[in-house]
Amino acid sequence: MRTTTLYHLLFITLFLAGAGATSCTKLNITKYYRRHHPALDSIEDTYRKAYSQKPFSIEFTDRPFDRVSLELITDTLTYIYEYRFGETRLQDTLKKYGYDSIPINWLITRMRSMECTWIDKLDYYAEEQRHSLIYLSLWPRAFNSPFVNKKYYILTYFQQPQYFDSQGRLLTGRRRRHIRKINAAVFFRLNDKVAYTISDRFR
Amino acid sequence: MNRFAPINIILLLLSLAVGRAGFANAAPRIKPPLADTLWRLPADTAQHSNSARQQALELIKNTKLPDSSLWWPNIKLNLFIENLKANVTEPLKIYQGSNTNFCGYAAFTYLPLQDDPVGWTRFMLTLYLEGEASWNGIVFRPSKEIHQAAGTLRFKGILDIRPADQLWFLSLADHFRSYLNFFNRRFHPGSEDTFWAACNYGKFNRMIRQMLGWHVTAHGSDLLRPHFNHLFDYLTNCLQTGTTYLYVNNTYLHKKNHNKFRGSFPTHYIVLESITRLPGESDRVDLVYWDYGGRTLRQVDLRFLKKILFGVSHCTPPQHS
Repeated sequence: MRTTTLYHLLFITLFLAGAGATSCTKLNITKYYRRHHPALDSIEDTYRKAYSQKPFSIEFTDRPFDRVSLELITDTLTYIYEYRFGETRLQDTLKKYGYDSIPINWLITRMRSMECTWIDKLDYYAEEQRHSLIYLSLWPRAFNSPFVNKKYYILTYFQQPQYFDSQGRLLTGRRRRHIRKINAAVFFRLNDKVAYTISDRFR
Repeated sequence: MNRFAPINIILLLLSLAVGRAGFANAAPRIKPPLADTLWRLPADTAQHSNSARQQALELIKNTKLPDSSLWWPNIKLNLFIENLKANVTEPLKIYQGSNTNFCGYAAFTYLPLQDDPVGWTRFMLTLYLEGEASWNGIVFRPSKEIHQAAGTLRFKGILDIRPADQLWFLSLADHFRSYLNFFNRRFHPGSEDTFWAACNYGKFNRMIRQMLGWHVTAHGSDLLRPHFNHLFDYLTNCLQTGTTYLYVNNTYLHKKNHNKFRGSFPTHYIVLESITRLPGESDRVDLVYWDYGGRTLRQVDLRFLKKILFGVSHCTPPQHS
């Protein structure tokens, strides 16, 4: 009887801890962005400028953020190379393909310190017109919980102010007020130009 | 995986039975309304195989099309025409759309757009004009749901403004069926992201054989990885004599999360364009492949390639087989 009570207590404690961790996880993204937005916004800004010179994307492929993968996008071919963080081969590659190494090295270091796992530019279409956004995936240790699945926190940076409904969900436009999905996910307002979602995929 | 093994076997057996019986929709159709018959295609005089892109562009230019089609109420003509032209001039840029299961059909399209752009264009124009069309004796009669859905897919990247690609992918998925359609027989909004649109290995090879008449030598399956004694030599040989498709587990090739436990099954088709050994490294190769509307060069271990590889389809045109 006593053993059963102990099991019940243990179960209830674990359940409450899990529920607490989950709810904290959901609440903290807005606080996290508010606290870190200068760093996150500078990553976006640097990436946008560097991308306009020559397109590329950056991915950290492991949890310790020790392996970095670069996608170098040319007109005819996308080159995908993977390196250890700090490996000199990376500089040779950037030089070979004519990329400015200063912003890319800065981005890699900054993404690592901010635990960003992926940055890319995506096209989306509104009223048959092409627009673009910067897609930034975060995998901060602060959000990890043993009781929930791995989740990524996705930030999207738009070039123009966006429309949101009363629940803060991203809309397709002012006239056609449908919910806009990006990568099959609904996004929520952080500010007029930045939205977020929680996803089990970083891209 | 083990939990689903008996279901997979049952579905495989069913697919054999159903495949022979013909899963494709065979309901009788009403002939197209009169209005559309005023617009006609020029006579078919072109030699389809290895036809030039210029001929395809002229065909588009010389075909009179109605501003709107009764068959395809959600397709805008200007976008449709632009889409056809883009596919003819830049065939490698055909894109399945983000988060859809159309990758098998996009990979399949690589062949007709490269080999027979006139045939493909004529088929698409006929489908637009008449609501149905045939290719190599196979009659495509898309269902009512497909007629409504083409042109309405949204939030799929550039596929949003590519109604001809939507029409093409939806029609292929609607016509060719397999055991994956056992629980998803009819199209519903959103089906493009489900098993309804998925393409298993048998169906993929069947499409190439039946529609294009190409000879396909296929090694692999949906569940078990094929064994190759000398994978590098085998793939090099394939590339020298035809077009080579690889059926791969994309959760490793195009990683989307960092989960340690991933499903061991194939999910993606790529077109292999070249494979070369890196100097001084016996196991490492440069792989150039086509998928997602572009070509990619990537360095991989042959061990990794074997791990993700579930099928190799070597395709040769009729005159070579």
